[in-house]
Amino acid sequence: MTFGAFLSDRLGALVLRTACAAAAAAFLLATGTSPGVLTIVLIAWLFVAAGALAADYFRCRAHLEELEAIMDGLDQKHLFAECAPKPRTAYERRLLALMRRSGRAMIGAVSDAQASQREYREYIESWVHEIKTPMTAAQLLCRGTEAETRRKLSRELAQIGNHVERALFYARTESPEKDFVIRRTTLADIAAQAIGHHRTLLIQSGVRIETEGLDCAVYTDEKWAAFLLGQLLQNAVRYRGASPVLSLSARLLGRQVQLTVSDNGIGIPAHELPRVFDRGFTGSNGRARGGSTGIGLYLCRRLAGFLEIDLRIKSEEGRGTAVLLTFPAGETLSKV
Amino acid sequence: MQKIMIIEDDPVIRDELSLLLGNEGYQSLPVDVFTAVPEQVGRAGPDLILLDLGLPGRDGFSLCADIHKLSAAPVIFVTSRDSALDELRALSLGGDDYITKPYNIPVLLARIRAVLRRSGGAADPDTLEWGGLRLNLTKGAASAGGRTAELTRNELKILAYLMGRPGEIVSREDLIDALWDSRIYIDDNTLSVNMTRLRGKLESLGLPGYIKTRRGMGYQL
Repeated sequence: MTFGAFLSDRLGALVLRTACAAAAAAFLLATGTSPGVLTIVLIAWLFVAAGALAADYFRCRAHLEELEAIMDGLDQKHLFAECAPKPRTAYERRLLALMRRSGRAMIGAVSDAQASQREYREYIESWVHEIKTPMTAAQLLCRGTEAETRRKLSRELAQIGNHVERALFYARTESPEKDFVIRRTTLADIAAQAIGHHRTLLIQSGVRIETEGLDCAVYTDEKWAAFLLGQLLQNAVRYRGASPVLSLSARLLGRQVQLTVSDNGIGIPAHELPRVFDRGFTGSNGRARGGSTGIGLYLCRRLAGFLEIDLRIKSEEGRGTAVLLTFPAGETLSKV
Repeated sequence: MQKIMIIEDDPVIRDELSLLLGNEGYQSLPVDVFTAVPEQVGRAGPDLILLDLGLPGRDGFSLCADIHKLSAAPVIFVTSRDSALDELRALSLGGDDYITKPYNIPVLLARIRAVLRRSGGAADPDTLEWGGLRLNLTKGAASAGGRTAELTRNELKILAYLMGRPGEIVSREDLIDALWDSRIYIDDNTLSVNMTRLRGKLESLGLPGYIKTRRGMGYQL
């Protein structure tokens, strides 16, 4: 709080006080007090008044600074009123009581929202698990059909599976802490899991897969990393060119491990690259082909954030796209 | 014949899985009453148990513990829950393997074979025979008319897959699907190369035209 602002708050009182002093001086002068004595009285009054004002200013400023420090130290700012220091005046007590009422209403609203979000997440999770039973049944039933139909149906079922999985991971990223386990694993395991998961899609699209140097240990959640990689595989299939090749290669960067997932697909226009990880961004390729949700890469970015994987994308139109995932060195991970 | 017990509450999955395992040469024992499951297992004495963790009214993990008291058969958990925590829990509670729904059928069958092999039950048939050709799976060799040819891993898998389905038309995609190992990913060109080499070897054994090409459909013995 600046001194100017402090003064302007008290402008009325200051004017009144000065007016009273002037009136008192006029009265004293009229009743025969000598101007010399009056001057001394006025100067003394001025000192006392200025001193009191300054003391008031410093106290006020210190009080505000204390409150601000409390606020800065709070993780959840809406709990401020609960943590504020004891009020000193009746007026402050009333103000604090009002703030607390407002704060409690807010805390209630926040915890209601959190509870309903948690319930929704739990519902999505159980729904995802339930839908997998009829999907499995449908997949088994497929076997009885004629080859071409079976091929098409299993592809559609795989697509359903991919959408369902994205919904599950979307729900999980809302409160991720309880779901992932950082363990030592290898890129080969993660890649095998992701490729195995999308084998129907990859085989039917005739993608050639090349792997190189994947025997590197990384510290991450295998399932999450495999999901992330799976999104990249799906994109590589969706935006493939003629005779598609998908290459997964790893190299060491000091203590970190970098996985490069590159394809020879249609690529992404340079001006769209900075936005591909945005939620709902589909880009000209996505719009031209349809079926793009703008969620896959957004989820990748969020998951990569939780897993502390650095995610970058490079692309050249007509030549292909490369996504670089840099896994953190085991000992620097903050959530082990 | 190896007996596989299916403990699964969804009737469609249970019936289809039963059929599938039956076609694959196993005897399937579907459970359709979910009371006293461990005792049913004890009586039936299966070689392998496929246990769905989402059974009504009973936690699959504790069920597994009870089954283990009455049967030494290996257990493959089948579940739709797939987080890393679920998997850790499953394997630490006595599951021999863990597979998530919806499963890929070749993968499921491969897991079943692997667990059965590990548990020391009767292994896969060692040799396959059809149309005058004898395929030794452990040695990786095909022989006919007194002559023998060594096969590579892929050639062996292709031939074994086809000989397991004599007369059936097998599409290239199904073959690739069957060849996909957990780490080796065969593409269309590789399949063509392997097929050409395999046919060359079969020809040298005096069996030209053993594998017929059905244009636009696939291969057939």
